[in-house]
Formats: sequence, structure tokens, C-alpha cells
Amino acid sequence: MLLSRNNLNRFLAFWRHFSGANAINLTLVIFGILLVWTLISHALENPDRYLPSPIAVALSSFDMVYEGLLPSYFGDTIARLIVGSIFGLALGIPFGLMLGINRTVADMFYPIMNFFQSISGIAIFPIIVVWFGNSDKTIFIVILYTSFFPIAFTVLSGVREIPMKYIHAVRTLGGSRFQIVRDVLLPGSLPHIATGSRLSIGFAWRAVIAGEMLAGREGLGWMIFTAQDVDRTSEVILGMLLIGLSWIILDHYLLRPFESDTIERWGLVQR
Amino acid sequence: MPAKLVVQDLTHHYPDEYTGESVHALEKINLKVEEGELVTVVGPSGCGKSTLLNILAGLLPYREGLVTVDGVKIEGPGSDRGVVFQEHAILPWRSVSKNIGHGLELKGTPVQQRKTRVAAFIKLVGLEGFEDKYPHELSGGMKQRCAVARTLCADPVVMLMDEPFAAVDAQTRITLQEELNRIAIATKKTIIFITHAVDEAAFLGDRCFVFSARPGRLKAIVDINIARDKRIWSEMNVDKEFLSSRDEILRLVREEVNVAIEE
Repeated sequence: MLLSRNNLNRFLAFWRHFSGANAINLTLVIFGILLVWTLISHALENPDRYLPSPIAVALSSFDMVYEGLLPSYFGDTIARLIVGSIFGLALGIPFGLMLGINRTVADMFYPIMNFFQSISGIAIFPIIVVWFGNSDKTIFIVILYTSFFPIAFTVLSGVREIPMKYIHAVRTLGGSRFQIVRDVLLPGSLPHIATGSRLSIGFAWRAVIAGEMLAGREGLGWMIFTAQDVDRTSEVILGMLLIGLSWIILDHYLLRPFESDTIERWGLVQR
Repeated sequence: MPAKLVVQDLTHHYPDEYTGESVHALEKINLKVEEGELVTVVGPSGCGKSTLLNILAGLLPYREGLVTVDGVKIEGPGSDRGVVFQEHAILPWRSVSKNIGHGLELKGTPVQQRKTRVAAFIKLVGLEGFEDKYPHELSGGMKQRCAVARTLCADPVVMLMDEPFAAVDAQTRITLQEELNRIAIATKKTIIFITHAVDEAAFLGDRCFVFSARPGRLKAIVDINIARDKRIWSEMNVDKEFLSSRDEILRLVREEVNVAIEE
């Protein structure tokens, strides 16, 4: 039987694991939101335009999956996120390390980095469009740019926070400069690399959506944007839900475990 | 036979971290440490004993005077001088055995040879069964045992110890002191042990260098003629030689503490 006690317990265990906190409370809050949403939707004169009910949104998702649009949009967006943020991290991590290791280099680059950090990915969008047009390249550059700064800054401060005693210890064991970077600075900043990656990918996720809207490339951002044009509000809401849910799943199953594993295993955080 | 480590006319000034004024830390230090000897360095706080250790370790550059190990002038850190720091500076991201084998790893010692040697030192400091633990899973005393094993495993010519047992509780400290004595017998290492605890200085040292208040000078050398295998706390507490050496060191240190207070 589907509703056996065993299955129910398994379901509850899943929720407890998933939510981390009190699963029943979370479930109640979600149902509360859905209920309020439904009530408001029913009270409106033209809910299809202003706020389609949860059921209407669910139905539109079936349509879109059936047409094959949703999986394809979703795939496009995720692929952009992965490629863009991998490059962002691949550039940002070594850059942050370099700045953390060498004070002269840090003094040279820090003010410039700080300057660009204040210019959001959306603010550089117009000039990137001038250079590369409404292309995937444009979105890629905006994601790369957006994910670069949080990771570079976090890694920089991570390297600086490593206690001198570890560096001294390895020097007196006969460690060379390279060996100190490899055995002390790199592993010592790994918890910061983990935290910074999570931060960067979070920013990149927002940048993908914005980028798709502005550049007019197919994807979840594009789906939201165009659905609004043709008055398909249910698809707008569906897109928003997917953006939020995929982030939660990505964060919960990939980024947070990586972060807490490195931090807890080495006992760098006292609990 | 020439001494293992020789310090000649070492004088050191450094700028104060906050005021920028020049601090006169060491004044014309002359001392020799023989091979296989364990010497303790004791003095009031601020007497420059940590400065001396950092210079010996090569972490602090010096200009006036000469420091040699086996007749070679020291310039910068090197694996010939291993250091055990006051705060256990073992790396939190390496397991106990990886920490202990780190020096050999840096030297490029083959894995099989490294394993054998690491196992021997884990046994020496009594950390069997903790090989795969990480530092945060160890007690304060075990962390310091791991730090000592790490330094010894790299086989330095001289082991420098900077108040290594200052941060552990009193019971553990006594145990660690007896263990270090046992290790000194087993390895015959040349050891320079810095401390502010007079009991510790008398218990561990073949000789004790007493430093004066700032600027640090070598005020006196106290010989402690007790065989290593007799050095057990339960016996030392009634040992005439130990008690008289300890009182002598205590008297010398207190003179300096009083000077420091009067200034």
C-alpha cells in the first residue's frame, strides 16, 4: 500500500533530511503559502492575468513539459550556469590566492577589484552587448564577471586569515615557497574557497536569468520574459518557482555539503 | 669536538609593533650547546628568549653577531633546526600521521621509508591508534606530542622548543616533561628548550641558561648534574641536587623579575 506506515515514515525522514530543521513546520508553512495564494487568486476578477492559482500553474507546467519547452529551457539555463561559473571560479580562485600570497600584487589590484565589484553584471550588460551582440557569449561573460568577484575576495581574505604559525612551522620543516603554497595556503583557504564558491554560484544563478532576459536567449529567464508579453502569467510564476527550487536543490545537495565537509572535518569551526 | 650550536656576540634590536621605537631585545649573547645536550633557557617575560629562538630557527634575520650550527652560519629557516612552537602549530587539515611525516614528504623521502619512520615516531610519542585522527580530535597534550614527533621525524640536527608545554594543564605538563626526558634519552637529540617555568627548566636541562631582564643577557649558567634516567618527578621532589639547582635558578630569575618591576 502506498499509504502504509512504513512509507509515511520514509517520507517524513526524507523531509527531515531535506529541510534540516523541523520538517513538519516547513511543510505547514508551504501549505500555508499555497492556501493564501489560492484564496487570493480566487478573490481576483482576472486571476489568469494577475495571479493564477497554484493548480493553474501546475497545469501549465504539464503543458510545457509535454511540448518539450520546459526541459529544453531548463537545460539551457543550467548549462550556462555551469559553464559560466566554472570559468568564473577557475579564474577567481587563483587570482584570490595570488592576491593573498603577495602583498605587492594585492595592493596593486585591490582598488581596481573593489571598483569593478560595485558595477553589477547588469550594469556591464549594455557594453558587452555592443561587443558581442545578443549572443550566448554575452551571457557567458556576464556570468563569469558576476561569479569572479565574490570568490576572489573570499579567497583573498581566506589566505590572509591563515595563522602565521602554520607557515612558520612548514618553513622550519624545510618547506619551499611553493610547498608552503601547496601545503598551507591552499588547504588553509579551502573552507573559504567552499564558502566563496557557494556565494559566487548564487550570484551567477541570478545573472543567468537576468542575462537571458536582456540578451533574449532561450532559457528560464527568457521563458519568464516572453510569457509576460503574451499574458501567460502562469508561465511567469512557473519560471520563478523553478528558479527558486533548482537553487535550493543545488545548494542543499551540492554546495552546502561541500562547504560544511571541509569546515567540519578540519574542526575549523568550533561547535 | 666543536659545539653543535654556537652563538657569538649576538645583539638584536627590533622596532616595537605599536610605537615603532627600537627595542633592545638581546645584548651580546655568547653560548655554546654541545651535541646531545638538552639546555633550557629561562628568564623573565620580555627577556628576549623567544627572540633568541626565532633567530636560531631562522625566522628572524639578525645583523649583529654570528650563529652557527655545525660550523655553518644560519641564514633563514632550514630542516637542520626543527621547531616545536608554543601553540601546537600542527596543520588542522592533515591527519596525525600526515603531520608527522610532513618533513619527510617535503624532502621527497620515498613513501615506504616514510611510513616506517612515521610509525616509529608515532610509537615514540605514544600516539598509536590516532594515526588517522585530525588535530581537532586530539587533546592539548596529544597535539603537542604530535608536534614533537613531527619535528623529530624530520631528523633535525637541533630541536628548538618554544615554551611547548605552557598551554597544557598542570597534570599533562608533568607527563609531557617526563616523556620529553625519555625521548631525549632515546634519540640523543640536541635540544634547546625555552621556558618561563623554573621547575621545568631544572627538571629537563643538563644546563640552564638564565637570561636577564631586557635587554636580554646571559646572566648565569646553572649545571644540573642528574642522570637522565633518574629524572622522574616523584624522585625529583626529594632530590637534593634537583632542589638546590631549582632554588639557584629561582633566585637568579627573581632578581631579574625584581629589576623588571622596579624599572
